[in-house]
Amino acid sequence: MLVFDHVSKRYPNGYDALSDVSFTVEAGAFVFLTGPSGAGKSTLLKMINGVERSSRGQVHVAGQNISRLPARKIPGLRQGIGVVFQNHQLLFDRRVYDNVALPLFIAGMKPAEIGRRVRAALSKVGLTGREGDWPETLSGGEQQRVGIARAVVHRPPILLADEPTGNLDPDLSREIMSLFLQFSQLGVTVLIATHDLELVESMPARRLQLQDGRIRAE
Amino acid sequence: MNESATGSGAHLRQINRTDRLKAWSRHHRQLFRSTLITLLNQPGALLITWLVIGIALSLPILLSLALREISEADTRQVIQPAMSVYLSVPSESETAQALLKRLRASSAVGEVRLITEQAALAEFSSLAGFGDVLNAFSENPLPGIIEVVPRERDGAGIKLLAQQIAGQDGVDQVSFDAAWLERLSAILGILERVLYALGVLFSGAVILIIGNTLRLTIENQRGEIEITKLFGGSDSFVQRPFIYRGFWLGFGGALLAFFIIQSSLLYLSGPVERLAQSYRSNFALEALNFGESIGLFALGALLGILGSWVSVWRYLKQIQPK
Ligand SMILES: Nc1ncnc2c1ncn2[C@@H]1O[C@H](COP(=O)(O)OP(=O)(O)OP(=O)(O)O)[C@@H](O)[C@H]1O
Ligand SMILES: [Mg+2]
Repeated sequence: MLVFDHVSKRYPNGYDALSDVSFTVEAGAFVFLTGPSGAGKSTLLKMINGVERSSRGQVHVAGQNISRLPARKIPGLRQGIGVVFQNHQLLFDRRVYDNVALPLFIAGMKPAEIGRRVRAALSKVGLTGREGDWPETLSGGEQQRVGIARAVVHRPPILLADEPTGNLDPDLSREIMSLFLQFSQLGVTVLIATHDLELVESMPARRLQLQDGRIRAE
Repeated sequence: MNESATGSGAHLRQINRTDRLKAWSRHHRQLFRSTLITLLNQPGALLITWLVIGIALSLPILLSLALREISEADTRQVIQPAMSVYLSVPSESETAQALLKRLRASSAVGEVRLITEQAALAEFSSLAGFGDVLNAFSENPLPGIIEVVPRERDGAGIKLLAQQIAGQDGVDQVSFDAAWLERLSAILGILERVLYALGVLFSGAVILIIGNTLRLTIENQRGEIEITKLFGGSDSFVQRPFIYRGFWLGFGGALLAFFIIQSSLLYLSGPVERLAQSYRSNFALEALNFGESIGLFALGALLGILGSWVSVWRYLKQIQPK
């Protein structure tokens, strides 16, 4: 599902965030991406949904070489990828419902179908009945879960998560992780960048360890 | 709606063409309403934008309406007053009646009207202040006048006709200002060009106003645009709401322009009619008719869409998720 083939990423300022990274992730796999701060975890995730482009090497997503993907095909790629990104928060001038509905709205779904799916996604993350709330009135952990609902509401084949449990207590973190695990059992390819080594070790998952832009261990 | 091709296949997501077309038209229908509602949520700002656009649209249109009325063929008499043929003989005399007959038969002459000495006196005394002056005379000092409206539109041709009439029996003199007419038609020609230039300039201004308003909106919605793109919203998907906003701004501006124009015409119509009557003309500033009103709305909407398109497209392309 995901193939990195000798991928390097040099940012415009000359910094090499990734150097010669190669790995393959099968469809439906559940993979943790670990490593110290600045190792290149976020950079790697951004190369999967076309936010960043490789400087060298090829990135293949679902059989498509996205290093060569023309700009007009990027939206189609992104519609199939759910993201929970560190720095992509909720829209605070929209209610929970509209935040979660965004991917479905982009896909052009019928309003009735959107309503059904949004409620289903919210109940999965334990926020049943909160669709009318404003994000401001939710706790940090609840906001995070709204973000997760938004990432899975359109049932994407790939799910990328960058520090998805950053604001959550251990119990809730475990719950969210098992939710991600369930998605992968349904066939979703899940890639999670995290610092939470304790949690990583407690879960039956493959682990990609990054350091200074290189894969140090599997 | 198709489910995602989970975990298999070469493509992440396959949606067939009919579904995509349906989604596309649904998005348009939703935006048509929702963009207006969003705009109406800030009534103060919206009203000001509409007013600015309305004024910018109504100015050149008002001017062109006035110009059109002035230069229109059947109202020409306002600025092309009938030549006045002053009689050297009493208007009941054989000579005067014969002249009248000849003039009526002439193909160069459109309308002929005799103002007898008595009628001239009555008209003159009705003008404020002149009544007393005339009372000083023991008999009517005014001559009879024949008013002649030439068929000819051209200044030189009218001059020729005036000379012809002046040479006839019973004519004292013919008063007619040909140079004035020539100058006027030259001025009208210039005004017409000035108007075209103004029209282009003001349309450009409307496009800029709308573009600028939308840019500010985009700046406020940067976060939303980034997230929409992150979840696969295409450039045109992201741009679409702004096209509709541009449409509403232009259309609403045109609506206000319509009211500005109609009420200005109403306000002017009284004085203009009085002026026209003094020339014995039925000249009147006419309000916009149905077709012209539709044209105005279409122009506003078009300028709005254009303004959005021109200024927003490249700007939106630059906004990318990080
Ligand atoms: N846009 C950018 N321009 C230049 N350098 C960048 C840019 N983004 C990231 N970097 C650099 O690339 C390196 C990797 O960054 P990245 O965000 O991928 O690390 P990370 O592993 O996600 O770290 P963290 O765990 O703190 O989130 C860092 O040293 C960072 O300074
Ligand atoms: Mg990071």
